[in-house]
Amino acid sequence: MNGGSTMSGSREKCVIVNPLIVLREEFDDGALLFDPETGATYGINPIGVLVWKHLDGCRTVDELAGIVCASFDAVPAAAADHIRDFLKTAVALGLAGFAGA
Amino acid sequence: MPVMKTPRNVFLEITNACNLRCAYCSHFSGPGDVQADLPLETWRRFIAELGRLSVMNVILSGGEPFCRPDLREIVLAIAAARMRFSILSNGTLIDDAIAAFLAGTGRCDQVQVSIDGAIDTTHDAFRGEGNFRKAICGIRALQDHAVAVAVRVTIHRRNVHELEAIARFLLEELGLPSFSTNSAAPMGLCRKNAAQTQLTVAERTLAMETLLALASRYQGRIDATAGPLADAQLWLEMEQARRERRERPADRGFLTGCSGPMQTIAVRADGVIVPCSQLPHLILGRITEDDLGEIWRQHPELQALRGRFQISLAEFPFCRDCPYISYCTGNCPAIAYNLTGRTDHPSPDACLRRFLARGGRLPEVARRQ
Repeated sequence: MNGGSTMSGSREKCVIVNPLIVLREEFDDGALLFDPETGATYGINPIGVLVWKHLDGCRTVDELAGIVCASFDAVPAAAADHIRDFLKTAVALGLAGFAGA
Repeated sequence: MPVMKTPRNVFLEITNACNLRCAYCSHFSGPGDVQADLPLETWRRFIAELGRLSVMNVILSGGEPFCRPDLREIVLAIAAARMRFSILSNGTLIDDAIAAFLAGTGRCDQVQVSIDGAIDTTHDAFRGEGNFRKAICGIRALQDHAVAVAVRVTIHRRNVHELEAIARFLLEELGLPSFSTNSAAPMGLCRKNAAQTQLTVAERTLAMETLLALASRYQGRIDATAGPLADAQLWLEMEQARRERRERPADRGFLTGCSGPMQTIAVRADGVIVPCSQLPHLILGRITEDDLGEIWRQHPELQALRGRFQISLAEFPFCRDCPYISYCTGNCPAIAYNLTGRTDHPSPDACLRRFLARGGRLPEVARRQ
């Protein structure tokens, strides 16, 4: 594993998508993450889609929050926390993992 | 109803070949009954395209998919393209080896096997001698490897009096978690053999009564999206709404009976892209020449099918003065096409007013009165 410390710590590890997971953009206001191994689907909103597309294993949560702020209006101050929660869930579900793990 | 950006489900008729000629098959003798199958490489390329479009589910049908000697390669291509699959089959060619293979992929949602009787003479009446035993062997092979089996019972004139025995056989003896039903519909070979296969009004009434009772007894283990059980459930709801003079629900009173074109598309064995396997005459393009994504987004025939949702039943002389018009959906466009020559028309076969006028009865309502 490379990068810094844990996602919730001061030096966060970068997250990368599980390449098996399919991002399916069904409608303008949402998308699904589809796990073909289990058939499970998880709905995500447009911000989740944007974050997902940037999970290349190189970007920190703060960098991802910056991308979100540059793309959407009226992003709440707690955006980084929300992104951190999203990544935590994605990793727990096996949809993503830590780069270099 | 919103349209997905790409299809979620795609039906692939991977072969026109079938080892059976069931008397009510919707495929044979219709426009989807094509002469030549496509080579494996063509299917592989198309399956890769489906993966790029983020399609989730591929449903392999035919013909009989297990007739295809390179079925395993097709399945592996689906898995490699990050999709799951189901197979629609008569079950007679499924053996232990292929069942083990399907289980090993980890991507098989289910294999649907047609079983039309509790005993061989009923099942084989329209499917051919010996095929009940073979189909049951196929189901047992799938069960041995924990592949989900979805049995579909097609109700016709020879099995309509055996529905209780069929339910008992499938749910208790075979131990299936559930099964679904439909009925011989006026398409394909069934049109030629309608007198022998299609239910009369009295038989349809009997099937509805029996299936409703069985669905209640087996608590959700029998379902249907077409045929007598589906009709009974919808019609009883419509009758209740009429009696209570309810407001028109948002999804009723228009041709809203089929949402398939919003999320599903199909390909014939010759590579022709069609909106649905039951509408094989509606040619949208070819997988060897056309871009599926473009067809999905722009083809006028698909747009027209989606536009059915905007067509009020009040526009049709067929529906004029009908007391159920505010609660009806017009049902299946494919059956409507086969009976009227139009997809943008309510299906006469699904018309409650017509059914009652011909002597049909709504079972539970009749008992309550």
